[in-house]
Amino acid sequence: MSSVNLDQNLNTAATVHAADHHEEGEHRLVGFIIFLLSESVIFFSFFVGYIVYKTTTADWLPAGVEGLEVREPLINTIVLVSSSFVIYFAERYLKKENLWGFRALWLLTMAMGSFFLYGQAVEWASLSFGFTDGLYGGTFYLLTGFHGLHVLTGVLMMAVMLGRSFIPGNYEDGEVGVIATSLFWHFVDVIWIILFILIYVWQ
Amino acid sequence: MTETSITAPYYRQNEPQPGEPEKWWRFFTFSTDHKVIGIQYIVTAFVFFLVGGFLAMVMRGELITPEADLVDRTVYNALFTMHGTIMLFMWTFPVLNGLANYLVPLQIGARDMAFPRLNAVAFWMVPVFGTILMASFLVPGGPSQSGWWAYPPVSLQNPTGNLINGQFLWILAVALSGISSIMGAVNIVTTIIRMRAPGMTFFKMPVFCWTVAAAQTIQLFGLPALTAGAVMLLFDLTVGTSFFDPATGGDPVLYQHFFWFYSHPAVYVIILPVFGVFSELFPVYARKPLFGYKFVAVSSFVITGLSAIVWVHHMFASGTPSWMRMLFMATTMTISVPTGVKIFAWVATVWGGKIRLTTPMLFALGGLVNFLFAGITGIMLAAVPFDIHVNNTYFVVGHFHYVIYGAAVMGIYAAIYHWFPKMTGHMYYEGLGKLHFVLTFIGVNLNFLPMHPLGLQGMPRRVASYDPEFAYWNVIASIGAFLLGVSVLPFLLNMISSWILGDEAPANPWRAIGLEWLVASPPPHENFAEIPTVVSEPYGYGKSEPLIAQQMASTELASELS
Amino acid sequence: MKVRVILRLLLLAAIMTPISIWVGQQAYHWMPEPASEEALLVDNLFSFLTTLGTFIFLGVAGTLLYSVLFQRAAKYDEGDGPPIEGNLTLEIVWTAIPLVLVVWIAGYSYKIYDQMGILGPMEHVHMMGEAIAAPLDAERPTEPEPIEVRARQWVWEFYYPEAGVTSTELHLPNHTRAKLTMTSEDVLHGFYVPAFRVKQDVIPGRQVDFEFTPIREGIYRLRDSEYSGTYFAAMQANVVVESTDAYRQWLNQAAAQAPQPGLNPSYAEYQVRVENRDSRPGWKTVTPAPTPMVNFPGSPDLPVPRP
Ligand code: HEA
Ligand code: HEA
Ligand code: CUA
Ligand SMILES: [Cu+2]
Repeated sequence: MSSVNLDQNLNTAATVHAADHHEEGEHRLVGFIIFLLSESVIFFSFFVGYIVYKTTTADWLPAGVEGLEVREPLINTIVLVSSSFVIYFAERYLKKENLWGFRALWLLTMAMGSFFLYGQAVEWASLSFGFTDGLYGGTFYLLTGFHGLHVLTGVLMMAVMLGRSFIPGNYEDGEVGVIATSLFWHFVDVIWIILFILIYVWQ
Repeated sequence: MTETSITAPYYRQNEPQPGEPEKWWRFFTFSTDHKVIGIQYIVTAFVFFLVGGFLAMVMRGELITPEADLVDRTVYNALFTMHGTIMLFMWTFPVLNGLANYLVPLQIGARDMAFPRLNAVAFWMVPVFGTILMASFLVPGGPSQSGWWAYPPVSLQNPTGNLINGQFLWILAVALSGISSIMGAVNIVTTIIRMRAPGMTFFKMPVFCWTVAAAQTIQLFGLPALTAGAVMLLFDLTVGTSFFDPATGGDPVLYQHFFWFYSHPAVYVIILPVFGVFSELFPVYARKPLFGYKFVAVSSFVITGLSAIVWVHHMFASGTPSWMRMLFMATTMTISVPTGVKIFAWVATVWGGKIRLTTPMLFALGGLVNFLFAGITGIMLAAVPFDIHVNNTYFVVGHFHYVIYGAAVMGIYAAIYHWFPKMTGHMYYEGLGKLHFVLTFIGVNLNFLPMHPLGLQGMPRRVASYDPEFAYWNVIASIGAFLLGVSVLPFLLNMISSWILGDEAPANPWRAIGLEWLVASPPPHENFAEIPTVVSEPYGYGKSEPLIAQQMASTELASELS
Repeated sequence: MKVRVILRLLLLAAIMTPISIWVGQQAYHWMPEPASEEALLVDNLFSFLTTLGTFIFLGVAGTLLYSVLFQRAAKYDEGDGPPIEGNLTLEIVWTAIPLVLVVWIAGYSYKIYDQMGILGPMEHVHMMGEAIAAPLDAERPTEPEPIEVRARQWVWEFYYPEAGVTSTELHLPNHTRAKLTMTSEDVLHGFYVPAFRVKQDVIPGRQVDFEFTPIREGIYRLRDSEYSGTYFAAMQANVVVESTDAYRQWLNQAAAQAPQPGLNPSYAEYQVRVENRDSRPGWKTVTPAPTPMVNFPGSPDLPVPRP
């Protein structure tokens, strides 16, 4: 019968296990990318909704609203977009195993992200219309709010990764978490650029 | 041995398997074993199927007479809303996820899914959102009564004025179900991309894995659109934004686009894995290779692609402009091409084979015939002038119950019978299985065929009362429905008694080809002692070729010894 | 060999074709007697679809049945069937055939759609604001103004602007293009008369124009086709198609009548519940719109469907 090599197989099982472990990181990354692709469809749907509303609604702006101030959001945008470069260099440092360089730039990215959130909060506070003020108010807060939630998530993810960098030996084998976080950050950035064009530029 | 591909290399009959947990209570734990999770999914989903079916029994009881007499109208409306929601989100999706969970790692030669813990979390969300949905029967005002589409403005009307109402809980449950499904989809797709055994190229993968991948891809691009729509609906309902509320300038038709952009593809999430089951079963029980394997495999993804561009066929009467009607009529009809490829391939597989009418084969054949019928009425519905007449009538209800019950549920039954020995280590009772088949097949046709003449004569769906002219066919439909209700009894009896008392199952009772049949029944904890190296295509019936390299070695060894 | 196969297929087709055509002819009787021009066209399309569908169904299911009946494994036969893995020509052929059929079906459906001359309703849909602002159509001043169809939870009301008549029964002159403008005050409703084979959603916040031509006198049923909440099923009305003379006469008579409560079965049923005369448990419902005061309520009797 064919079961002759049963015992052998049992012995090899343990060694195969170790090899499995190495691959797990890559699985995670693949899984994360698939997730991001899926996530982008939510934003895409909101964008489509926004475009449909904007092009078909007769009284788009609520009464008494002139439009949006672009200057401060533009500064915000520049900060957020440049943070994408900063995080890229942070990752480079990590690859070169310069942990302190990594931590410094990583912290800078977090700061820039937080600045963006702060700027957004200030803007929200200054606006004369609310979430329930027609389709304009609804879509504005929906889009910026949903995006802001992602920025917040990104900053929190970075905080976790920063913490983990203090666990000795944790990042010796490269760190999927860092790559994933930085991917996420780039994603959040690209979404913002589209959002900025839709909401602020196309008025 | 001559049939190398079906003998088990790792396995000696009657010998205890290493590391095999035999405790029944593992099914009630946060297990990360894909096989445990698979069975958890299947059993949980089946409980909800009974609940959804029970609601349908009450509905058919109401519809047996023209007047709205058995239950109050609000209750009837809640019944069909919950029936549709439960059947789709808590029966078909979870049960198919269960099958995929159980089978995919085994079929591709992996020890587990890519993310075992995520897998467990995704499963345990099912009872959570199930409970939320059930709880809506208890809140003031009762469950959602806006149909499973939850079209605004009806879904935004809130006669109780409470914040926590049936509609709110409904949206919450559907959103959680979406999150759980996305977790599952990420997991399954990653598993299929990354965890295949050496030698298992895409074109050596069983068609079931292909169809699961195609179906889960739909979840990945479709569910987020539904989520977006649900979030906006939730804000309209709770804080009073005006996305979909025409009273404040919103656009109720946009919601319909969001909804159907997902919910049309969702029907292929249901049917594709069932196509996979058909593709696995016909070769085994006709003992012939799957005809045109590559065509069948690839056509799954053609269906995935097309499914994303046909959603407006649910909205032909919703104020859709002519060009859009004609465009979506054309795209919808093209789906019959990749589907036809599959149908013809199965017929050719069965043709000239050595057919064995076991219970799984009977369910698969019955499901195929029902699907054929439903597909043809589907094409009729796609023809705009005709659809305008039967849209929102019982013709549509008949169409989709033929696909969903007649094909999908029967295909799921086929799968459960076919893999039951593998999952439990016991054989089911063939006699009870055949009884189950006969009752189901007659029940389906008695229940759902009369809905077609009803629709043609103009009986709208979602009505608790109707004009007496429709009574004749409704009585027949109700009798069929009660027969279907009875049909689950032999199934339940069979499953429970044979799990406990059934004959012990060998590793490969059907002499089937496939990695899952090379390991013991039930498979040991990490499936494969050594990951196999795959060397052949999956359906080598009649070819006496080895499926995996280990078999080559062992046959050589065996011939040396002799 | 090849010739034999082809001959057999031809024989099969020769048997299946008349059966399919016969079933296709039967299909005309599965729907209510057609009472509009559109209905005649739709019935032709349905008959065509049924013919083709029967042919496909018989072909595939028949082949399967043959296999199942005559190609079973013998009792102790453990062997395998012939290991045929595929046949490229065949696979290409059966990809091509459905493609051709689909083009045929879609082409024919398009033709019917075109003949029905339903402009997509969207071409007729205006936002409320625009419709009011639109200049009056100066070219055809003799055309009667369209009948207004007002839908609300859960009653239909019809308004004839030229005579100033309101009614809860829809009267239409025979052989005349019926023109409707439909509005809803609350949720989505659907205008559906099975005998006419026409259906159109009524969307709140918009004005939807709709046209068709009745061709047979009689009483028909108008049904709400878009689910609209608790009393959705009761939201039906009668449609009376009569000769132009009778229609004129009816209009004049109705105009002379003083307003009275229209037919509103859902409101009546709601009253039963409010007064606790219904013991069945139920949940709170949206309150129905009050019964409209109309010149002509119409008859509460159901039309007798013709066989
Ligand atoms: C698993 C579920 C499932 C599947 C697989 C399908 C498959 C199809 N469905 Fe169905 N459908 C539903 C579930 C499903 N449907 C549900 C749930 C609804 C209603 C939802 C609701 O309103 O609540 C619905 C409603 C629905 C509508 C809307 C009707 C209306 O509301 O007015 C339409 C219209 O086009 C449609 C069409 C089709 C078509 C063309 C297919 C095609 O995929 C069928 C293709 C198959 C074949 C054609 C047969 C095999 C092919 C051949 C043998 C080749 C040769 C054939 C030809 C050339 C014709 N479906
Ligand atoms: C997977 C999907 C699925 C399945 C399997 C079914 C199964 C059945 N459905 Fe389905 N149905 C839908 C999905 C499904 N349905 C959807 C999506 C809708 C649209 C909803 C909407 O319009 O919003 C719908 C609508 C719908 C209607 C139209 C309602 C209306 O428009 O007014 C009807 C009417 O007859 C109906 C009947 C049935 C029947 C009789 C069964 C039977 O096959 C069920 C058989 C029953 C059982 C197998 C269970 C037997 C259980 C017992 C005997 C008791 C045990 C009970 C407990 C332990 C609690 N369904
Ligand atoms: Cu009234 Cu829908
Ligand atoms: Cu669809």
